Amino acid sequence: MAQVYLNRIAHGRSGDKGDTSNVCVFARKPEYYDIIEREVTVERVRAHFGDMVRGGIVRYDVPTLGGFNFVMKHALGGGATHSLRLDSLGKSMASAFLRMKIECELPAGEE
Amino acid sequence: MAQVKIGGGQGFWGDSPDAAIHMVRRGGIDYMACDYLAELTLSIMARQKLTNPQAGYARDFLDLMREIAADAKTRGIRVLTNAGGMNIEGCVEGLSKIAGEKGLSGYKIGYVTGDDLTGKIDELLASGVAFDNMDGAGDFMEIKDKIVNANVYFGHEPTLACLGEGADVVVTGRSTDSALFLAPVMHGLGWAPDDWNNLARGIMAGHLLECGGQGAGGNFDYGWRDVPRMDELGFPIAEISNDDFVVTKAPDCGGLISEQALKEQILYEVHDPANYITPDVTVDLSKATLTQIGENRVRVGGIRGKPRPEMLKLSIGYKAGFKVATMLSFAWPDAYEKAQAAADIIMKKMKRKNLRAEDVMIDFIGLNSLHLAVADMSPSRVKDLNEVVLRIAIRTKTKEEAGKIVPEIAPLQLNGPPGASFFGGRAHVQEVIGLWATLIPRGSVELRSHILEVR
Repeated sequence: MAQVYLNRIAHGRSGDKGDTSNVCVFARKPEYYDIIEREVTVERVRAHFGDMVRGGIVRYDVPTLGGFNFVMKHALGGGATHSLRLDSLGKSMASAFLRMKIECELPAGEE
Repeated sequence: MAQVKIGGGQGFWGDSPDAAIHMVRRGGIDYMACDYLAELTLSIMARQKLTNPQAGYARDFLDLMREIAADAKTRGIRVLTNAGGMNIEGCVEGLSKIAGEKGLSGYKIGYVTGDDLTGKIDELLASGVAFDNMDGAGDFMEIKDKIVNANVYFGHEPTLACLGEGADVVVTGRSTDSALFLAPVMHGLGWAPDDWNNLARGIMAGHLLECGGQGAGGNFDYGWRDVPRMDELGFPIAEISNDDFVVTKAPDCGGLISEQALKEQILYEVHDPANYITPDVTVDLSKATLTQIGENRVRVGGIRGKPRPEMLKLSIGYKAGFKVATMLSFAWPDAYEKAQAAADIIMKKMKRKNLRAEDVMIDFIGLNSLHLAVADMSPSRVKDLNEVVLRIAIRTKTKEEAGKIVPEIAPLQLNGPPGASFFGGRAHVQEVIGLWATLIPRGSVELRSHILEVR
């Protein structure tokens, strides 16, 4: 087992609606889908973001796209112009998300 | 077999016009839709109109049309946009002047009014609309007297009516981005308004295209280094028929139409993929498929539709106080330590000035201003920085309160830790606009389609 940043095996994009941030996360290779499904649980995401995300988190699985959609409420410091964050629209929430460290077994040659 | 070819020309108010101009000239498209409205854009436009009655719409659209109107007319490309914002008539007037200058006699400008319900709040309240906040708690009565604008998101109907009247261009206010794409596809393919599966495909075409470059290799996390010629990024084009739905782009431009690029866009700003709610149809994209079928060609499949919702979303902007963000930069050695000391000095001064802030945020650009709590702030990371920028942002109830911090930043160049460098001039206090989204019955909205023919 190796500890890697999630962005090693996944890619994604983040968007905003009010104070809600959505981060979609896709397996970089089909064989990584199961690892993400197992490791990137709502509980792990909540622990990763801590105070940055103050509302509920829901994960929607979309296997036909090899990905997941995470919807996080009260995640943008108040949202829109309320937020004092430099990145008030959460454009960098995806990269913050993919900075999560996960345990996984990478195929030989990819360690 | 009938097919509609439509391009996404603008992703937001302030987008580059280059890709739109290119796709009109080289894309072989039938229609181009240009989205200018993000969630708070209408509030910004409403305030612009208050200070200048001629303003309140996306003037960028007129600059774009000055470039392409004649070309588009010659090629039979019809343009759809929500650039009208809070001043649809003003936008139409500007457009008719351009058409006149270009000698486009008989040019038909369609436009849609009726989405601005700012003056009808009391009427809606009296009719029993509850104005519950879709995003949670709050008492509507507390914000009612602070409303800047209230606009309802509407679907394809009035835009389709304008196309039926032969409009060369259709200008709207708060049409959904995706309905600007659905309407022409319905017009071209003759889809019925309850053909849910097809409507869902049309909405998804709009969804994939409405952010312009984001659907063609822009903001592409999977492999941004591999996107060709980002300096002349093309925007996406959908080819849609009863049997097929392919996303591609114009020849001879940069960008990338790949499975991964469209994956990142298809779930962008979607919540429940099985229930993507629009005024036209509830889309189920939970079983969507994306298949590369050629160079820069991806087929979209597995999109299903369910009946449209009975309620429409009303988006209300209201005055919610003020805020200001200040910055000051520091260099090696001990840049982070100096920036922290400066923050401490400024906040002590603010305490002496009796600052009453609703919220204060202190962070360090170059370290944690984007990733916040997730950023690596370990001692080895913050030590020995070449430089860092201190950022202090405050939100207050009044403009005067926010203004207290503004003059306190530059003096630290002479009065604080060594090497502070002030840049960008004094910070400007901004008004905060809050967003209150609620649902209202379809029946309470009366949209009107108009045609202006340029002589």
